[in-house]
Amino acid sequence: MGEVIVITSGKGGVGKTTTTANIGVGLAQAGKKIIVIDTDLGLRNLDVVMGLENKIVYNLVDVIEGSCRIKQALIRDKRFPELYLLPSAQTKDKSAVSPEQMQKLVSELKAEFDYILLDCPAGIEQGFQNAIAGAGQAIIVTTPEVSAIRDADRIIGLLETKGIKKNSLIINRLRIDMVQKGDMMSVEDVTEILAIPLIGVIPDDEQIVIATNQGEPIIGTDSMSGQAYDRICRRILGEEIPIPDFSRPDGFFLRIRKMFGKK
Amino acid sequence: MMRVPSVQIAKDRLHVLLNADRLKCTPDVADKLSSEMYCTISKYIEIKPEDFELKITHSDIHIKYTGEND
Repeated sequence: MGEVIVITSGKGGVGKTTTTANIGVGLAQAGKKIIVIDTDLGLRNLDVVMGLENKIVYNLVDVIEGSCRIKQALIRDKRFPELYLLPSAQTKDKSAVSPEQMQKLVSELKAEFDYILLDCPAGIEQGFQNAIAGAGQAIIVTTPEVSAIRDADRIIGLLETKGIKKNSLIINRLRIDMVQKGDMMSVEDVTEILAIPLIGVIPDDEQIVIATNQGEPIIGTDSMSGQAYDRICRRILGEEIPIPDFSRPDGFFLRIRKMFGKK
Repeated sequence: MMRVPSVQIAKDRLHVLLNADRLKCTPDVADKLSSEMYCTISKYIEIKPEDFELKITHSDIHIKYTGEND
């Protein structure tokens, strides 16, 4: 039976969709059969980030309403035959789907896939309720900002009341230079406040912008963010990899990068 | 002139915000709860403000007391 992971954050624009796409690719690279589902009805994005926007025929709402079979709506990734996307609908809104329907769909997919990744919309309304309905665990994405951390904290509280207790945290867009100057909260500051296990830290990286422009994944490249996503995937698969020390200027991680002449 | 690092401001603001969110009340009510808890405790034991911290999580309220350190 596959594992169902919802990628959520509360606040918009912190990197849920990019994270979903890259974890999907990373787990598929590791030989797992993956489906990523865009649950943001009305604001379809995951297909664009993955570069699959021209292949959409049917969508999540068509599947739920029974207008097509699940298999007809699934889009196979360009590079990884074991990675599938179920796109969202651009013209419907969140009321077109109920949590019960999502739960049923996800439980049917569990038999077919090793991992089901649900890209959650921003907010805590019905779209969020739909996305978490079938999930067994959650990855909460935040950035080291007051508003994003506050929203992440509310999400963690809501997930706990819904019975989703296996939650892990990704801190995205960390700027090491700003942390060192005391102008950005450090990894320790954020984990101390949110008090859930950390599964990864992604440095702020312009390479992500470039990859997203092209509809390409960043994972699999030797950029700092690509490497960070790679470590996250390996942790999801059960490997124990320490989080590199991003706080000290002489951090092991930075030393290694300098050794290989990378910025 | 030395500039105050903005991290401390962010952490202080978050502390107030999260306490209020977790208790579902306004920040000043959360603040008042904390200071009244401190007052109550100081009636019975000798305590300095820096020895006292009220920590609110999603499910518990912890009172941290570190007055026995010296």
